[in-house]
Amino acid sequence: MRAGFAWLRSGRVVVGLAIVGLILVCAAFAPYLAPHDPEEQNLLAVLLPPAWSAAGDPTYLLGTDSLGRDVLSRLLYGARVAMTVAVVASLGAMLVGAVLAHLAGYFGGKVDWLIGRAVDVWMSFPPVVLSLVLMTGLGAGIRSVILAIVLVDWTRFCRVLRAEVLVTARQDYVAAARLVGFSHWRTLLREIVPATLPLLITLVSIEMGIAVIVEAVLSFVGMSVGANQSAWGQMIADARQSIYESAWNLMLPMLAIFITVLGFNLLGDGLRRSLDPRLLLAREA
Amino acid sequence: MILPVLALFARRLLVAIPILLVVSALVFAVLRLLPVDPAAMSMPPNATKAEIEAKRQEMGLDRPLPEQYAIWLKATLRGDLGSSIHFRRGVAGLIRETLPATVELAALAMLVSAVLGFAGGLLLFHLRGTWRGELADLGSTALMSTPDFLWALMFILAFGVAWPILPFTGRLGASFARPMHTGFLLSDTLIEGRPDMFLDALAHMLLPAIALGLAFAVPIMRVLRSSLIEVDHADYIRQARLRGVSEWRILTRHSLKNAVLPTLTLMGVQFGFLFGGTLLVEVIFSYPGLGNLMVEAVRNADLPIIQAVALAYAAVVLVINMVVDGLYLVLDPRLRAS
Repeated sequence: MRAGFAWLRSGRVVVGLAIVGLILVCAAFAPYLAPHDPEEQNLLAVLLPPAWSAAGDPTYLLGTDSLGRDVLSRLLYGARVAMTVAVVASLGAMLVGAVLAHLAGYFGGKVDWLIGRAVDVWMSFPPVVLSLVLMTGLGAGIRSVILAIVLVDWTRFCRVLRAEVLVTARQDYVAAARLVGFSHWRTLLREIVPATLPLLITLVSIEMGIAVIVEAVLSFVGMSVGANQSAWGQMIADARQSIYESAWNLMLPMLAIFITVLGFNLLGDGLRRSLDPRLLLAREA
Repeated sequence: MILPVLALFARRLLVAIPILLVVSALVFAVLRLLPVDPAAMSMPPNATKAEIEAKRQEMGLDRPLPEQYAIWLKATLRGDLGSSIHFRRGVAGLIRETLPATVELAALAMLVSAVLGFAGGLLLFHLRGTWRGELADLGSTALMSTPDFLWALMFILAFGVAWPILPFTGRLGASFARPMHTGFLLSDTLIEGRPDMFLDALAHMLLPAIALGLAFAVPIMRVLRSSLIEVDHADYIRQARLRGVSEWRILTRHSLKNAVLPTLTLMGVQFGFLFGGTLLVEVIFSYPGLGNLMVEAVRNADLPIIQAVALAYAAVVLVINMVVDGLYLVLDPRLRAS
């Protein structure tokens, strides 16, 4: 019975990868896939429902928004913004968080104290509030969004990884590496990083989902891309104005966000389950 | 029981003060990156260069950054948070009006997330190892992928537009005059002795609180489930089972008490995040709290408000963490002994 549903567990990685891959393809090839220019307005065809409903128009597969712009094309171009932010911001946050976590966990002492206090300060700040403050200082735009996510979310990596590094650094094989004459630098890179890598990969996957959400939030309040570029959060903000005329306009970008985040979370969840030795032990018991 | 908790609060307060100082200095520095001139913004558009320069000097903007911070800090400690450039009134007053609204909403959302989190965690634990459990587990991943603002929008579509049974804008219906006692609407309406108004205020809070609570319930569910499973492998549980103690009694008397501790740690962090989550939910539901004030201020580059509101958020998060830690101490006798 358990074996029969094992695919649900291992399947997560596959399904997650499939979703993420699909969205990445949409993002990369948006100019070729989009049937219309995402900014092209057709004021004679505003707020059309999707093509399959009675009032739909087959040239606008997912309908049009309040300015008569093609929703499908806007979703595809929105994927570009979402995925760019997800990939670049997550890797940035990982880099900052992981480096600090390894320094803190490996060297301990004053370094650990200082980094720990910095994390405390950051943790006393709700992420949304901190990113808004940063966006105010940095100004709107996709680069600021990426920078804000890196500056806010490095603590997510730092907190979790530090504990892992702390445990790993006490292992005999690490002490052995030092005794053989490995430098601190080499010990960190050769002995400790490989041990923390599985956790790191899992965290990056989950962070990508978070980054998609943060970008949507910031473009929802009008602080991400400019008005001449489409982003999912911005589409939601627009559709909110015409909520009584067209629910589709609101639901489609919401669905896009949900599916993308679900893809990253399934991937992260699946990776965690197959990479975490503690969970493997618990399953055998 | 009370003394160690008070001692903890005192210790935590000593840590909180430097944290708040660093937070305020950071916010101060970040906001000075802004390419806008608060002095010019607070003047009428036809003001002359000399007038703006005089205003700059009055606001202390011509001095070096650390000195500006010192001036701001001194005023803040006196309770003077400056005045808003956009609203043309004192920031302290604006915060006094909006903070209770946000705290009220967050408290209700915390209640929702705690109840749903525990119920869901117990359900996931109960279903473990069955195909329903795997399915429920998958469902929890799907729930994890739905952030609070998506819930909020879905609720508006479902219960505000498609099937309009609940209000989704503001704090109180237009037919009521807002009572002013404590600023907390739920208690103010009761002080006035108006149960109808109380219910109306509660109805306005329901959708935002459930949207927010739901989003934060999922991590609680998952941690409770995994700590219950971990405790389940412990020797004392096996022993109890061998003695023939009923599963219900094992759960209520043994497992839950131990599994609740890691869950509580998580809830401390989660509730801090939840308080920040009110920001967006408030914007979506046009709920007049700190979040709407913050977004409005960001749009207008209203620095005194941004500065003060950011600090208010940080202070509340520190208080939440303190309370949760105190609760932890009460629930775990092992910590009190050491």
